[in-house]
Formats: sequence, C-alpha cells, structure tokens
Amino acid sequence: MTMAASSRPRTLDPANLDPLQRWLASAVEASRVEITRADLLSGGAVQENWRIHAMIDGGPRAGTHALALRTDAVARLPMSLDRPREFACIKAAHAVGVLVAEPIAECADKSVIGAPFTVQRLLSGTAQARRIIRDPDLAGFGPALAREIGSQLARIHAIRPPNDALAFLPLPEPDAVGAAVAEMRRALDKASEPRPALEYVLAWLLSHKPAARPTSLVHGDFRTGNYLIENGQLTGILDWEFCHWGDPREDLGWFCARCWRFGNDALAAGGIATRADLLEGYNAASDAPITESELAFWEILGAARWAVIALLQGQRFLTGGERSLELALTGLMSAEMEFDALEAIAALEAGRPIP
Amino acid sequence: MTARRIDADALLDLATEMLRAEVLPALAPEQRYAGAMIANALEIARRALAEEVEAAEWSLLDSLYEEGEGSTAQLARDIRADTLPKGKAADIAEALRTLLIAELRVRNPRFLASRGIGG
Repeated sequence: MTMAASSRPRTLDPANLDPLQRWLASAVEASRVEITRADLLSGGAVQENWRIHAMIDGGPRAGTHALALRTDAVARLPMSLDRPREFACIKAAHAVGVLVAEPIAECADKSVIGAPFTVQRLLSGTAQARRIIRDPDLAGFGPALAREIGSQLARIHAIRPPNDALAFLPLPEPDAVGAAVAEMRRALDKASEPRPALEYVLAWLLSHKPAARPTSLVHGDFRTGNYLIENGQLTGILDWEFCHWGDPREDLGWFCARCWRFGNDALAAGGIATRADLLEGYNAASDAPITESELAFWEILGAARWAVIALLQGQRFLTGGERSLELALTGLMSAEMEFDALEAIAALEAGRPIP
Repeated sequence: MTARRIDADALLDLATEMLRAEVLPALAPEQRYAGAMIANALEIARRALAEEVEAAEWSLLDSLYEEGEGSTAQLARDIRADTLPKGKAADIAEALRTLLIAELRVRNPRFLASRGIGG
C-alpha cells in the first residue's frame, strides 16, 4: 500500500478496505472484489481523489481495473453541482460518446468510506496546462487536438433539453446573457472594492447581446487544464461540476478566452491551436455551426466571468475570514481579465479582430 | 541592490531575495507552491509601497467629476447606470485602461509585459 500524497486522508482507510470491497462487488455484480492498491492522488479538506487497483471476480466487469474514486466536495464554489449531479451529467455525456472517464458506480452511503463517492474508470494522460502548452511537439499535434476538442464539444452541445436524466438542471431564462450580467453585478455588489472597468465590460456585454441559440448542455469549465492528453491525443474531459443548460457558444468562448492560453497568446484556442482549428472540428460535428466572429462576444463574457470569480475569491480573504494567501493573490488577478476584456472591446470597436 | 535606508522597501527586497535564493530551492516539492506564493506576495507588497495607483485613480476621477468629489465607487455606479456626465463618457474606456495599467504595474508587471506594455 502506498500513499502518493502527503495530506492525510479523511475518508478511505487503506488498512480497512473491506467495506469498500464488499460495496464495489455488489455495485459491479461481482462475486468478489479485491483492492490491491489505493493511492491518494490529491485532496485534503475539500475533496479526495483516489486511484484504486481492483481485481474483480465474476460479473460483467471481471478482470483487473484501474479506477478513480472521488468523494464529494465539502465546500463547493457557488453554482457548482454536487457530486451526484455532476455524475449524472458525466453519464449523459458518456451515453452519447463523449470522451469521459467511464462512470461505473456511485455511493451515497456514508458508512462505506466515511463520505459519499463515485467510481469511474481511471484515464491516463496529463491535464497540466503548462506541460501541454510547452510540449515541444505541440505544433505537430495541436491543430488535430483542437479539432477533436471541437468535435467533442459539439457532441456535448447536441444534448438538449428536455432530458429526463438531467431534469434537475434549471432551464435558463429567455435572456440568458442579461441574467448572467445581472448575476455578475450582484456578485460585484458584494465585493468591497469597486471595479469600474468591470462595470464598463458588463455594460458593453448588455448592449451587444447576440441573438440566442437553442439551449444546449454546456460543460461550464471547458479549458486547457480540464482535459487529459496522452501522446498528443485527447483521452478525456474532466471537471463537470459547472455543467448547465445554456448557450453553446459559452463553452467555445471560455476555451478561447485569453486568460486560458497559459502564455501561448497567439494560439487562441486554449493555447494549443487557432480558433479556426477548433471551429473546424466543431462545425464538422455540429448541426448548428458557429463562426469565428461570433466567438468574440463570448470570449469577453468569459473574461468578465473569471474576473468576477477572482474578485469573489479575494473577498473570501478580505471579509470572509479566510487567511489564505492563494485567495488574496487570486483576488488581485481580476485586473488582468478586465484589461483583456477592455482590449478586446477596443479592438472590436475599431473593426479589428480581437487578440 | 544597495538600499540607502533600512526601510520597508529594503527589508522586503532583502526578504524576497533570501527567500528565492536560500529557502525556495531547499523546499520539498509539495511546499514549493506555497513558497512561490509567499515570494509573489512579498513582491506585490514591495511594489505597492513604491507605486502610486492612487495618483492614476485621482487623475481619472478629477477628469470626470468636480475636483476631489469623485470616487471609484461613484464611477462604478455611474457606468452601470449610464449616468456619466455627457461628453465625458467617450474616453472612458481609454481612461479605465490607463487605470488598470497602473494597477497591474503593482499586481503583475509580467502580465503587462505579455500584453506588450513595458515598465
């Protein structure tokens, strides 16, 4: 038994795996499950991720498997789904062939390991944005990777309401952009520091609202850093807790927003390729094609959204009583996204493409 | 760098230099992120002492309101409500950009450099 991370687990006890083995056997209709290895990958106060090697005897999944066990987060960001709901979104995406870690089982019973959890097949690859961006072979695999990502996004967006399995997701208001701006303004009102530049960006967004698109399932945090690649190939899409019904262009704008290029500024699609590459893959797989010029609005909306999130994180430090350097430094980052949004707006007003 | 006085700037400069030269390289991998954050915070604090973001703020506010009457809170409210004094709203985007640049010189000069704006 090894422990890969130094933080002390709060749930699964590697010295007492019997309850988990019995539960897993029943969940996968096996006669017996033996867990030969359990490594804590990351986690601590908020949430834990375990890598588990399981030998499954009998049933449809007989064999040796590498699995990922995730507990629910104790403290979630506003707007994020709890683990069972996120799992339902992952199942819906998996059912239509989206590249996602195969959902295997979920457990709401706290007595098994001390917290509710889910089990998925373990995917290989790296999600580390800077490693992907600085890969010396990026110029070779980047465009094809962006096309594949575009095609995966189109598949997610083809999931449309009504959908019985996702009935818990609230339908967006008819004026989704207006509602998003109103929500960001409410968040700004809670921040102790006035941000005139962000107010300017929000007012601009309201006065440049595009015509609505049919509502789709939106991943909500689709960016470099939230997908896995191995040998330049996409192996899976991660972090589904911000899934919601919305405008499909929101995901594409978030992916291309300047703040998510990790220094590879010239490659607008997540720092890995051009917008044209991403949209080529998207439009080949979608019945509702999207143009490059349409993306600008959604990239600016993405920058505004990240600026607001950063401010809220800083607010937790300023007035929420959380003495965290990370929160304080994140709060200061809002100025970067505000600057990018202003630059993009200035470019559009001057009739130039946005950076 | 040789400081002329042992003031807050010199102390922060020294502390950051020691942290980067002697402490960070010796940290265990799982502590390096915390160490880098501490160095970043010290550098921001040092620049905050040296820079004058407030000067940029007042210059913007005094161009829009009666001298000494404006505030960033008032400006934020006026932008949201579209009640900026007529004739002064036109250049507001450029003025806000100038203000953000002053702020970012303290918060993250490397970001500004990545956007083609030098010190």
